[in-house]
Amino acid sequence: MSSAVIFPAQPEQILKGLGKLWTSLGQEEKQQGKPTVLRACAMTLIIATDDPDGGFSASQTISELVHEHPSRGIVIAVSEQAEHGLEARVLAQCWKPFGKAQQICCEQIEITARPESWPNIGPTLIGIIAADLPVVFWCRHRAALSPLASRKQKAGLEAVMSLATKTIVDSKGEDAELRLDLLSTWRRFGRIVADLEWTRLTPWREPIANIFDNPARENPFSSFRRIEIAHGGDKPGAAALYAAGWLSAPYKAQVSFTAAGAQDSAIQRITLYSDSEQIDFNRQGECMILRSTNGRERKYTYKEGTVDALMTEELAILGPDPAFDAAFERAQELLNV
Amino acid sequence: MSVLVQPQPEVAAPNPLQDSLRFERRVPPCAIVIFGASGDLSKRKLLPALYRLFYERRIPPSFAIVGSSRTPMSDDQFRERMKESVAKFLEDAPFDEDVWTSFAQSLFYVPGDLNKPDSYDDIRNKLDELEKTHQTAGNVLFYLSTQPSYYAEAVLALGEHGLNRGNGWRRVIIEKPFGHDLTSARKLNEEIHKVFDESQVYRIDHYLGKETVQNILAFRFGNGIFEPLWNRRYIDHVQITAAESIGVEGRGGYYQEAGALRDMIQNHLSQVMATIAMEPPTVFDADNVRDERAKLLRAVRIMKPEDVPKYAVAGQYGPAKVGGQEMPGFREESSVDPNAQTDTYAAVTFFIDNWRWADVPFYIRTGKRMPKRVTDIAIQYQAPPLGLFMQETKGGLREVRPNLLVLRIQPEEGISLRFLSKSPGSGMRVRPVSMDFNYGSSFGERTPTAYETLLLDAMAGDPTLYTRQDMVDASWQIVQPILDVWAHTNFDFPNYPAGSWGPKQADEMLARQGHVWRIP
Repeated sequence: MSSAVIFPAQPEQILKGLGKLWTSLGQEEKQQGKPTVLRACAMTLIIATDDPDGGFSASQTISELVHEHPSRGIVIAVSEQAEHGLEARVLAQCWKPFGKAQQICCEQIEITARPESWPNIGPTLIGIIAADLPVVFWCRHRAALSPLASRKQKAGLEAVMSLATKTIVDSKGEDAELRLDLLSTWRRFGRIVADLEWTRLTPWREPIANIFDNPARENPFSSFRRIEIAHGGDKPGAAALYAAGWLSAPYKAQVSFTAAGAQDSAIQRITLYSDSEQIDFNRQGECMILRSTNGRERKYTYKEGTVDALMTEELAILGPDPAFDAAFERAQELLNV
Repeated sequence: MSVLVQPQPEVAAPNPLQDSLRFERRVPPCAIVIFGASGDLSKRKLLPALYRLFYERRIPPSFAIVGSSRTPMSDDQFRERMKESVAKFLEDAPFDEDVWTSFAQSLFYVPGDLNKPDSYDDIRNKLDELEKTHQTAGNVLFYLSTQPSYYAEAVLALGEHGLNRGNGWRRVIIEKPFGHDLTSARKLNEEIHKVFDESQVYRIDHYLGKETVQNILAFRFGNGIFEPLWNRRYIDHVQITAAESIGVEGRGGYYQEAGALRDMIQNHLSQVMATIAMEPPTVFDADNVRDERAKLLRAVRIMKPEDVPKYAVAGQYGPAKVGGQEMPGFREESSVDPNAQTDTYAAVTFFIDNWRWADVPFYIRTGKRMPKRVTDIAIQYQAPPLGLFMQETKGGLREVRPNLLVLRIQPEEGISLRFLSKSPGSGMRVRPVSMDFNYGSSFGERTPTAYETLLLDAMAGDPTLYTRQDMVDASWQIVQPILDVWAHTNFDFPNYPAGSWGPKQADEMLARQGHVWRIP
């Protein structure tokens, strides 16, 4: 269910649209005489996008994410095609949990902005974010994140970021050095930032961490002083740099990168070296194989998460992420060596 | 009392790579031995919970489940039976054939009789085999899901056959009821401690594993605004209701011996009361949380026999027509004595003699064949000191009803706060409105069942949500005087019709304090 276009995209008009939407959803309740719809909201999730689909895929993503993170979704589609400077439409994303009779509904606001109007979005957003709840901003506007971003794009980005508790980007396929520079600037200004390239590392990090849980292990983690990371592409991507930062941060282990020949920059292999043991984590399709020179071999399922799954993981962490912070800082040190 | 002290497993040094924000909590490899594996609890709760944990990869790849009971069965027959049960009783989740196939590879069965020594040898042999084939590291969790009368016998036999020690840790989960009265509970503790150290004993109370019961602690101690109002200065009284719409459902034989007071109040509801009323722990860990719960239970006033009729009400449901259907009375249920004096309803007024709660009544009621299935806790705040406003009701105007905070445990988990609001229109008339938090809609993800939580905790060695010996002892002490008086009372049962909220004596009990039961 969605509303007609709301123009101008004034907060009061949008909120009125939302009010009407809930009233119409409530009519069904009245007819049935029992609660059929639950309004759910635990945060505001803003997505800014320059996708040519006009925000369609961003909306689809929100409809998946709200199952685990009920939120007021705001999609800002920045497009030359937009008829007006800023126009809005409101809709509800509803689903019925397994085995339940009642629908859960989250509200969504789609704003279409002409590029020159994007920097003016601040006053609209301030009026429509859900009060007193965290605001997460997922920037999918690639041009605004690029070093060549225009002044207006930067201003648009800043208008949204200034309201956000946490800002999420995805550095996959981007120049890692430039991206880390940008994130570093944001972090210096006290922003909480997250990168889905770090989130993609969880299926690598968890099995690696777990093998060092055993206190009786012959070679503890501190004895592994050299780390080698094999990555696709010509130079290490953000994921490889984060992995290097994460593994070398605790004991300042030495790190080397090798190009493994694959096309995308994803990590292919991580090898840890101690004086008496070498442990190899090798990704092979949907499988990760651990081989140690002490004779251990183990297979893990490895499934690279979809963007929806990565975002679901990321939305569960709204405050600081100490592991990422430490890895990021160390990754920067490694870049500067 | 002899207490066996066993060496504790080595505590792992902090692993700098672990990331508690993102990684699942680590559970060590282990084998779980379920005694009474063909029983109802295994079929309805334990296996569905273990399957679900496996589905979500919450249990390690190196694990095995060994079911044991008297029924002769092969591994495959056991797997087939459990598959049917899991598919049928899995809550809020679909059944996945492929996941089951993989799960079933870790499922084994050892037929045996708890009275026969050979059975324990068979289990030991199976555990030795699994330690090698499934790399369970010698860690074993025994789950006693048998008739309670077998608990002591089974535990002593585990000790005699050396199953209480091995290459890894050994733990035992004991289902309720933990004893039939204070004396038997103490005796059972004594027997268990001949074999297992207290740190190895996990007495399960599935109420404490419910997400919403755990949420009481988060609500009280994670928010600054409620705790200052959480005492006798602001709270008038507390009502804890655990109502079931069903009858004894084939458990007539057991229930006849137990009754509502033993079945619900001695364990589940006294633990819920302790969670509501306990002092904040200094640290959120197993010992500190359980210390505070135990301390609270020890502060509950023990009734004198002459006070029991004033502060405790027993009830038993009689036949009635509910929704056009004839419902039998308790005495007409199968395997129930037609003259049974069993309490299918119990309501008790407890007082907690400590600084925070002195003179605040805690009303607890539980019953079968009530109008609906509901468990909640209602904190009734005191009325404002001056009645400025009148409230609109169907019968006209009356004085305002004070604030009510309701913590809903089941079925719709959540929290509601009732407060007054001005009715629209001219004039200053007020009416109560409710501010609702619904667990399901704010946390979209599926919440784990109590058994999933508790089984995982036991595997991980976290006893926070399990009851400790002193807690069990204290909770028996507070109900024992009531049990003693009731045992010598000839009740005029039945005293409430099926489908009602209980006997009128329970209403009178509250009326004497100037209170009324709320309708949940």
